[in-house]
Amino acid sequence: MAAITLENVCKTYGNRVEAVRGISFEAKDGEFVALLGPSGCGKSSTMRMIAGLEEITRGTIYFDSKPVNDLRPRDRKVAMAFETYALYPTLTVYENLAFPLRSAGWEKEKVDAKVQEYAQLLELNRLLDRVPGDLSGGQAQRVGLARALVREPACFLLDEPISHLDTRQRHRMRQIIKRLHLEKGFTMIYVTHDQEEAMAMADRVVVMHEGVIRQIGAPAEIYRDPADEFVAGFVGEPPMNFLEGSPNLLDGQWMFQSGERQFALPGWMQVHGHQLPHNLIMGIRPFDVTVRTDSGTPYDAAGKVFVQENLCDYSIVAVDLSDVRFQVVTPTSFSVERHQPVYLKFDPVFMRFFDKETGKAITAPRD
Amino acid sequence: MITLNNVSKRYTTTTFGVRDLNFEIRDQEFLVIYGPSGAGKSTTLKLLAGIITPTGGDILRDGVSLLDVAPENRDMAMAFENYALYSHMSVRENLAFPLRAKGMSKKEIEERVEKTSRTLQITDLLDRRPGFLSGGQRQRVALGRAIIRPAGLYLLDEPIGHLDAKLRHRMRGELKAMSADMSATIVLVTTASREALALGDRIAILREGHLQQIGTPNEVYYQPVNEFVASFVGEPPMSFLSIEPKRDNGKLFFQIQDCMDCLEVPAQLASSLNGEKEDYRLGVRASEITVSSQKDAEHPVAGEVYIVEHMGYCNIISAKLGSGLVRVITDAAVAPKRRENIWLSLNAENMHLFFQGNAVQHPSSLRNSLNMNGEIMRAR
Repeated sequence: MAAITLENVCKTYGNRVEAVRGISFEAKDGEFVALLGPSGCGKSSTMRMIAGLEEITRGTIYFDSKPVNDLRPRDRKVAMAFETYALYPTLTVYENLAFPLRSAGWEKEKVDAKVQEYAQLLELNRLLDRVPGDLSGGQAQRVGLARALVREPACFLLDEPISHLDTRQRHRMRQIIKRLHLEKGFTMIYVTHDQEEAMAMADRVVVMHEGVIRQIGAPAEIYRDPADEFVAGFVGEPPMNFLEGSPNLLDGQWMFQSGERQFALPGWMQVHGHQLPHNLIMGIRPFDVTVRTDSGTPYDAAGKVFVQENLCDYSIVAVDLSDVRFQVVTPTSFSVERHQPVYLKFDPVFMRFFDKETGKAITAPRD
Repeated sequence: MITLNNVSKRYTTTTFGVRDLNFEIRDQEFLVIYGPSGAGKSTTLKLLAGIITPTGGDILRDGVSLLDVAPENRDMAMAFENYALYSHMSVRENLAFPLRAKGMSKKEIEERVEKTSRTLQITDLLDRRPGFLSGGQRQRVALGRAIIRPAGLYLLDEPIGHLDAKLRHRMRGELKAMSADMSATIVLVTTASREALALGDRIAILREGHLQQIGTPNEVYYQPVNEFVASFVGEPPMSFLSIEPKRDNGKLFFQIQDCMDCLEVPAQLASSLNGEKEDYRLGVRASEITVSSQKDAEHPVAGEVYIVEHMGYCNIISAKLGSGLVRVITDAAVAPKRRENIWLSLNAENMHLFFQGNAVQHPSSLRNSLNMNGEIMRAR
């Protein structure tokens, strides 16, 4: 096991393309860290530098406190699993798992014990006699993970290992990978573009965009208190809604003025009203908006229904405000027609504000 | 209306794309074809489009066979999964091409290109060539090339699968609105459960070339005909527990496999179970049950916390019951520790019962809400 530290790590391809632009973070010993971001954000390059598959252009990577920049991949004791994993097609699952151990000179009993242990962890017990050609995609995936792990690496790196699986298999793999981590305590770095996977499994999530880190935090933290507008919009499903506007003092109260709409800024912002940037973006999650069909009670925004999607557990109503489309999660008992006028109320506790110029979240100044 | 009559597509002597498909595509409906990879979804679309011909059965439109009608005369527009754009043409020309080929006026073509590109948010890309687009942008252009054409039937093969979450949500809404506004008939293929539920007026679920069930989202979600449909529709997937009917003091119970706990068998079921050890399983959705930190009347069954997934707006707790795992959705504030005991609101009456994989009962509470008159649904 090892802690992994990245210090100002950069990766430049050729002499122009800066894939990773000076990132620093730490995966503590035994921690499950997800590198999350859209394609091209630098997450895979980062992982390949940790594995030693790519040269580090600038900066240092440490395993525990030892720099590993010059260590060859196999001397770093990392295991890596890719989305597709080449298994030996003529060997049984058992032999596929035993192979790396035997070639490392392990005794027969130790090999068997280790293979059985990982077969158990990855739920392969009943598949040990099969050959790869007789496995489903999900099963082959689990064999691939087991084979990467039997040698018990210091650190386990996974690059989009389950993104091509169907919904059912993906949820199953989420349980298995998370349990594997809890049982074995590997330091794990998990690369994904899927925020749900990152949220579901990781202890901490490193959100990347265009080669830089936008935020590092526990899943609940990045969900509830995103550091900037990018993180806010990237994490959470359905995605967060945004509304542009400006602070406006009205009868001693600071309001959020957005076109014709206006509503009071939350209490903690009242005190700092004068320090707020002129151009603000309000963000609110679809779960934190309520929608009504009558205008009788106070509301924050009025609009017309674009579409309603019924997902059986809940429904999503897309509402066209004059300039922007909002999504609202409602119970399925709430039913509206296309183009029907509706009225939205935002939960002030969960409103988040961002500086439009910098994208940064507005937070209460610390004492 | 399009009717598939015993449609099969055999690729080699032993491999089938689809087998004996029987279903209808109603006029102006949004039909989603849903299933895992290898289920025969794309094969079905290609059969409808006429790109491939069935090796058995017939495809009819309003009672007339389509098999002898060439693809270009079927009044259908298809968006392919692999995009199939003309690389030497700009996005604008790619969009306009199918319209020009039909002899549409210049003005109408311009209007359609303008409207379609606005809907798909590709207005800024109109003068680029496909080679200069990202995967997600190309996918939207491919979708645009299909929906820009007036057609009786739109065939869309995973048209938004490669978009990022934000854009996918947006486009999902646009497709839904498009189907409402154009009164077009749309058949869409997907592997995403939420997409299937959100978009379909009806969903046809395929597995290994066979149709498993076709019905409204509510039907396939609340009354799945078998464990496959039950586990494949809805997210997170339904959890299953292996059980054995047991008699104790004249009362019938379900003994949960490798677990101390028993569940009382609902009265209306008791008569139809013979009490033998047989292949029964109970299924329950993560949103259909609740947890408690203490045992109480509503939460009689103990489980051990296996993992907790923090989803932001909720947590998904997987609890171990004997050799089974049950997922429960809870408030984000409920976060028990691993290996802690929690109590689940399991009650056989509120669960789906399967016999050898086929549904024999759906929860009574759900049944009532669906006006099923309390009837026990028989397996097919």
